[in-house]
Amino acid sequence: MIVLAIDTAGVDCSAALFDSAEGKVLSAVTETIGKGHAERLMAVIDQALAGANLPLERVERIAVVIGPGSFTGIRVGVATARGLALALGIGSVGVTTLEVLAHSYLADHPEKQVVAAMDAKRGEIYAQAFSGDGTALNQAAALSAENVAELARSFSAVVIGSGAAASAGTGEGAGSDRFDIATVARIGAEKPLDISRPKPLYLRGPDAKPQTGFALARS
Amino acid sequence: MATFLRILGIETSCDETAAAVVARHEDGRGEILSDVVLSQLDEHSAYGGVVPEIAARAHVEALDGLVEEALTRAGVSLDEIDAVAATSGPGLIGGLIVGLMTAKAIARASGKPLLAINHLEGHALTARLTDGLSFPYLMLLVSGGHTQLVLVRGVGEYERWGTTIDDALGEAFDKTAKLLGLPYPGGPAVEKAAQTGNPNRFSFPRPLVGEARLDFSFSGLKTAVRQAATEIAPLSEQDVADICASFQKAISRTLRDRIGRGLARFKQEFAALDVDPALVVAGGVAANQEIRRTLQALCIENGFRFIAPPLRLCTDNAAMIAWAGLERFAGEFPADALDVAPRSRWPLDKQAQAVLGSGKRGAKA
Repeated sequence: MIVLAIDTAGVDCSAALFDSAEGKVLSAVTETIGKGHAERLMAVIDQALAGANLPLERVERIAVVIGPGSFTGIRVGVATARGLALALGIGSVGVTTLEVLAHSYLADHPEKQVVAAMDAKRGEIYAQAFSGDGTALNQAAALSAENVAELARSFSAVVIGSGAAASAGTGEGAGSDRFDIATVARIGAEKPLDISRPKPLYLRGPDAKPQTGFALARS
Repeated sequence: MATFLRILGIETSCDETAAAVVARHEDGRGEILSDVVLSQLDEHSAYGGVVPEIAARAHVEALDGLVEEALTRAGVSLDEIDAVAATSGPGLIGGLIVGLMTAKAIARASGKPLLAINHLEGHALTARLTDGLSFPYLMLLVSGGHTQLVLVRGVGEYERWGTTIDDALGEAFDKTAKLLGLPYPGGPAVEKAAQTGNPNRFSFPRPLVGEARLDFSFSGLKTAVRQAATEIAPLSEQDVADICASFQKAISRTLRDRIGRGLARFKQEFAALDVDPALVVAGGVAANQEIRRTLQALCIENGFRFIAPPLRLCTDNAAMIAWAGLERFAGEFPADALDVAPRSRWPLDKQAQAVLGSGKRGAKA
């Protein structure tokens, strides 16, 4: 199966083509742009297709990073993935950023348990624990540094990602939330094709409060 | 280009997620083949207004399903579509991104041209879809986000004659409703309350009446309403009804003066030409019956045709976006590249001076 992976959830704008039957990455393009994903994404996808020497019509599945990450960035990717899937008549699957970080780490450190932890700012960390084979051990959530440390202790897991330092983790894989777009394709190829389409994983509310005290008193 | 065309339209600039398929016949006549709109009203009502992040979240979950439904209802496949048109501004950026990216993806995968449409142009051209109106004509757009009087000379040829220098008219209705504890959206609630009210109890200001320029202003009126209401609080049902009726009267008076001057200018400008003058209304506020009656009477007095498209085509919808795409496609305007950026601000009339909201993102509208 030919999988097209796309990621616009962070600073990168990336696309890759992967042949799951051969287990082979056909092409991968990453532009580190910070913003402007909506403008660049289609060109990045076209570059990946050109690199793999494949027309878009050959793609059989779309894998898209659904977050956590930039709310707007996530929606650029998810809207594109769902639009492509609709027009091509193929399936699409969502892959979480935390899952990609965990899988990237586990590829080099198999059989360890890992907590993927991303600095979510405002004193929070997006975190989730995974077993050595990449299976999620809990629900992804926005947690305090203490709770991430607690999570790591309870699973005897190593903490990786930009949230590792804040949670006073072992810091073994600490630092970056960047990953190889090919990992998204590999994970996406393995996922069962759900009926439900990829949905953003925000892990935070929309930050709006109902207005009160504006209306005048009634008699 | 006199061929039969069909375009898929997408609209996500505010709190309606919408998709439609519209056809343009060889003779230039438009036909709506499907028109689906999903309103997010319930998601926003607790906040008394549209919350941009909530709107964007709702758009991305619903849009592809609506596109499928629009195609199914129209009985066409993507292969049979000639182009994909999507609102790319002005509006809430989070929603615009969802609509535009979906459109880019569909255009790329189906090998069809992409048309990035100005939402205001959709409103401006609707009367040609519904009534086959010919150019030129005047369009009054009155919604929660816009209050503009625009001369429509042709496709892509717009002259903004007047705009609000502060609040949009729909915004004034919403804020009045909020102040009086009426539900959101404020327009229908204020109109309903006004029915049992005394329009002469309060004498509210009629902003800019008598001014030669054609602009609008509603923030002073809003303040006057607040002051009058605060003075007599706590408010009885009758107080609320009287305030609403007096508020609507002030607005009708203002529009009468402002639009009356616009009609006079139109007649003067096109006196030498054989033009059948017409005023088109668009936007959610055009649903208000008192405002409609005022405009209708004004048109009759001045010998103008009054055109009010059906309400679902006055408020935000995708049929008008598909239609604007058809007008552009048939007029052989160039398609847009797939790197086109959404624009939260995008004035319809590039020549018009910025009246408010100018900054690094440019003039507001």
